[in-house]
Amino acid sequence: MIEGLLRELAPQVLGVLVRRYGSFDTCEDAVQEALLAASRQWPVEGVPEHPQAWLVAVASRRLVDEVRSDVARRRREEGAAAVALADERSQAPGAERPREHDDTLTLLLLCCHPALSPASQIALTLRAVGGLTTAEIASAFLVPEATMAQRISRAKATIRGRGFAPPPAEELPERMRVAEHVLYLVFNEGYAASSGPDLQRTELADEAIRLTRLLRRLAPRDDEVAGLLALMLLTDARRAARTGDGGALVPLAEQDRSLWDRDAIAEGIALVEGALASGPLGPYQLQAAIAAVHAEAADAETTDWPQILALYGLLERIAPGPTVALNRAVAVGMVDGPASGLVALDAIEGMDGHHRLEAVRAHLLEMAGEQGAARDAYRLAARLTTSLPEQRYLEGRAVRLG
Amino acid sequence: MRFMLMIYDNPDTRDLVTRPEGRDLMAEVDAVMARLTESGELVGGEALADPSNTRTVRVQEGVPVVTDGPLAEAKEHFGGYLMVECETIERAVEIAAAWPSTRFGPMEVRPVMDPGGMEM
Repeated sequence: MIEGLLRELAPQVLGVLVRRYGSFDTCEDAVQEALLAASRQWPVEGVPEHPQAWLVAVASRRLVDEVRSDVARRRREEGAAAVALADERSQAPGAERPREHDDTLTLLLLCCHPALSPASQIALTLRAVGGLTTAEIASAFLVPEATMAQRISRAKATIRGRGFAPPPAEELPERMRVAEHVLYLVFNEGYAASSGPDLQRTELADEAIRLTRLLRRLAPRDDEVAGLLALMLLTDARRAARTGDGGALVPLAEQDRSLWDRDAIAEGIALVEGALASGPLGPYQLQAAIAAVHAEAADAETTDWPQILALYGLLERIAPGPTVALNRAVAVGMVDGPASGLVALDAIEGMDGHHRLEAVRAHLLEMAGEQGAARDAYRLAARLTTSLPEQRYLEGRAVRLG
Repeated sequence: MRFMLMIYDNPDTRDLVTRPEGRDLMAEVDAVMARLTESGELVGGEALADPSNTRTVRVQEGVPVVTDGPLAEAKEHFGGYLMVECETIERAVEIAAAWPSTRFGPMEVRPVMDPGGMEM
């Protein structure tokens, strides 16, 4: 309960501090310390009447202590902040900042700055916007805390002096796409882990959904944000059905659909229908639409594969890539038969030596009744994957074919 | 993605470290470690004792059979490892190429298996 409240408040408190004191880097450290203090004190002393004001006060005090203990560094940072502010003003002469503009969105876009690597964007977003501790993020990504701490401080150094302001209007769409991609990566990391032993990593999927809901509130007219949230909900709805005994992967076609989360599916479908009806198509909306077709089918046999194939055709047109081509080949196999699927598969470039290509080939060969070739392809895919549950699944399919 | 960089030694590479130029090599190792720490890519790493300290264990008909030393006298032996996390195997190979011992003995770069996976 308290943890949820703290994560909710973290970006708001950081926004207030950065606006007041200017330096994202030191403010972020101060907020982390205030969050830690709250997580120790509130369970014992009770949640204060104004929790946000409490956190702002404690973080501000930490910040002042920090300033006193290191005046010289502070001076350098003030210099940098002043330069950044001047830059910002010279870029947009006379442009008044909208008074209601949301600090949390600015914060998220800053953490997802294109100058940072995806690993750094993820770490910084989870800490500054998600309010997770460095230790929690490190354990979710299976690296030592020191490694994650280093990654975060390096990321902060990279964006130091960028200024705390929303990106210029012409950059906003591209910056939104980067932020969406970061949240998508966090979700995938957590969703993949849900077939493994690590529960803390699984929470990343919940955290990604929470942050995407937040982004949706901040940018309610962005249809791709709606599409992304729908995609996450429709995918996550299968979580309980996607693993069997001992964490073994269960493919979509064999999942017990009574275990699918119907509320999440209903919410996801409503979101994607709204997004598709309102504006230009985007890749997340289309992927969500495909997930919705699967979610609506009573079983694998009655799935509307022609519709899925048509959606992949659209997706390939607006966001071409080997992964889309691979998924389209599966749909071709389901609509026109495995031989056509294999022809589509052979046309894919840029996936040589990739386990997914061989896994799809194996499925299509099995459908075509070519048992020996299917078994060899499953074995090859099992050797190529670097995921333990995938390897076990693929070896199991090979063994089943004798 | 995590990669293990496996360092292979031979008797000559161990001797190298004790000679005067060895100090430069150790300084190089420290510099690479510092860079990897700074970039947030270093996950861990250890050096192993000389192979003569090895005990080899096998269970035969339920009884552990323990012998001194490695299985066979090899020209090269596993001497230690680095664990890194980076985006691609190409980057991991680049890290390996900067490690000084690769001028004298090979290094193997292998992905670490992920405990999670996607449904197929």
